[in-house]
Amino acid sequence: MKILLIEDEKELSSAIQLYLTRGNFLCETALTYNDALEKINLYKYDCVVVDITLPDGNGLNIIRELKEGHMDTGIIIISAKNSLDDKITGLDIGADDYITKPFHLSELNARIKSIIRRRNFGGTNEITLNEIRILPEEMLVFIHEKETILTKKEFDLLMFFLSNKNRVLTKESIAEHLWGEEIDMADSYDFIYTHIKNLRKKMIENGGRDYIQNIYGMGYKFLTT
Amino acid sequence: MNLLLRSSINYIFFSILSFLIGGIIFYNVIKTVFYRQIDETLKTEKLLIEEQIDFSDSLPDFRQVFNHMIEVTVFNTPNKRFEFIKDTMIYDKSRSTLVPVRQLICENTSIQDKGYIISISKPLAETKQMITKIIGALVLLFAFLTGLLIFVNYIISKSIWVPFNKTLENLRNFDISRDHPLALTETRIHEFRQLNKTLERMTKKMRRDYLNLKEFNENASHEIQTPLSIIKSKLELLIQGEALSEDQMGLINSVYEATTRMSRLNQGLLLISKIDNNQFHDTEQVDLQKIMEKTLEHFEEIIKLKKIRVIPHFTSPAFTQMNPVLSEILISNLVSNSIRHNIEDGEIRITMDSEGFEIANTGHTLTIPTEELFRRFRKSERTMDSVGLGLAIVNKINLLYQFDITYETKEGYHRIRLNVRPGNDAGNANPEEPS
Repeated sequence: MKILLIEDEKELSSAIQLYLTRGNFLCETALTYNDALEKINLYKYDCVVVDITLPDGNGLNIIRELKEGHMDTGIIIISAKNSLDDKITGLDIGADDYITKPFHLSELNARIKSIIRRRNFGGTNEITLNEIRILPEEMLVFIHEKETILTKKEFDLLMFFLSNKNRVLTKESIAEHLWGEEIDMADSYDFIYTHIKNLRKKMIENGGRDYIQNIYGMGYKFLTT
Repeated sequence: MNLLLRSSINYIFFSILSFLIGGIIFYNVIKTVFYRQIDETLKTEKLLIEEQIDFSDSLPDFRQVFNHMIEVTVFNTPNKRFEFIKDTMIYDKSRSTLVPVRQLICENTSIQDKGYIISISKPLAETKQMITKIIGALVLLFAFLTGLLIFVNYIISKSIWVPFNKTLENLRNFDISRDHPLALTETRIHEFRQLNKTLERMTKKMRRDYLNLKEFNENASHEIQTPLSIIKSKLELLIQGEALSEDQMGLINSVYEATTRMSRLNQGLLLISKIDNNQFHDTEQVDLQKIMEKTLEHFEEIIKLKKIRVIPHFTSPAFTQMNPVLSEILISNLVSNSIRHNIEDGEIRITMDSEGFEIANTGHTLTIPTEELFRRFRKSERTMDSVGLGLAIVNKINLLYQFDITYETKEGYHRIRLNVRPGNDAGNANPEEPS
């Protein structure tokens, strides 16, 4: 999977690149508008992550350029401007998703995976991990080929874990993934605990392994090794 | 009261006042003139009679001569000299009624040393009638003149104030967040030209400042969010390390939580400045009940987890014209507030009618004064984890749309009532926002 990250902030770019590379993505970076234009014209990417406020150009133009050449490239907009206009324009001209700074790397990672999965029309659209088989479109989960009924939140949680296998996911990132940014209550962490407890219970009851680990009150990790 | 009405009323008031004074003076002048004339006549007649008494023995029938009541009495003894003129009533036999007269009474002694009394009465009915007619004509003239004056004033004022009203209309439509400079029409009146010039200069400057501020806000948000993003992402990478001890993880966790708070704070302040800058100017008809239901659904899990009972009582849906994003923020903040400050096994009662809605929740007593509730960063000691901007944002939105929000504690419930249609006492409930 080849990803192009267009982000002018070098430190942020390198952090994202590192996170994505560890998740077995091949991640190239472009720090400037011109660099980005050159790269999208030369190579083909599965997904392009673009910061629309670049010092030497508007990221929206890159999206327009991309849409002319590579229709099947997924596009995610990053912006610090939490403005509705940019979001609507971006999605109108063909971006698949929109993420606002500051974001969780795990969230970006999950969104990239989701977009690539959605755009992968040809291949089988299922995720297999040891005894677990998931049909994301149908929201079905099988453990040892036996259907396991999960609630919507439990399913989202499982998908988020699977997108970020073997990574520590902070409570904040899980809360924001499940309920969006407006939930800023300490209570929501108790909440994650309840959902994780239920998810673990259901998976173990159906003969699955206990994958989810608590990491010192910081968050959780879906351990596959 | 508009300018035209005001000036017309002033005109009428002063016209009537000046007419009253003028009328009284005029009446007295006329009366004096008439009386003087009557008195002259009376005196002339008296002189004629005196001549008659002095130089002839017989007295003629004066009534025939002068056509009014004259009585002359002559004695053989001399009389003291005495003369006066007065208004009085005498009995008119022909009409058998009292009639007003001007009466001259003169006592004197003739050359022949005979005393005499002359009394001449001249009926005043005719004179009075004439004065009444003159005054009547005057009133009519005055009424006509006043009417004409007001009408002319109205017409002139109306045309004079046209450029002013146009300017006013333009100002009313002026929206600082839109790039439509004031297009004021040319006028030949110096004062209005000055006014327009000043307004144009002012609005241009306002617009420039507004754009600068907006740019600054956007830049500030960008500049702050980027380092925050870097900190957050680096921390996220850091916690992936295998060799971290629990202590180190705890430290990172604290930093991470603080960073999250800071980015929420930044977003909250940004939202407030955006509302301040009126950047949410697109409005539409918003169904508050629908939003309320959506919000409750959104918070459903937290409500269940805190074992809070929600009792909605929607008698009729409330609609209002506002920005849809702000309406969601408004209701979401109020509901989340009622959850956050609630107690275990608590209750939230939500009532809604066409005027607005009320959210009443159980909870601890307030540790800050009520009037500071809607200020920035005021929060009760129990909920230190919140950023403290929720109600400040609510207040901003209310100020923007002139909603009427009131807070009270009653029977153990914290009640926040929001009227989207402000009544007569609207506008006083919102505490002033410190800038």
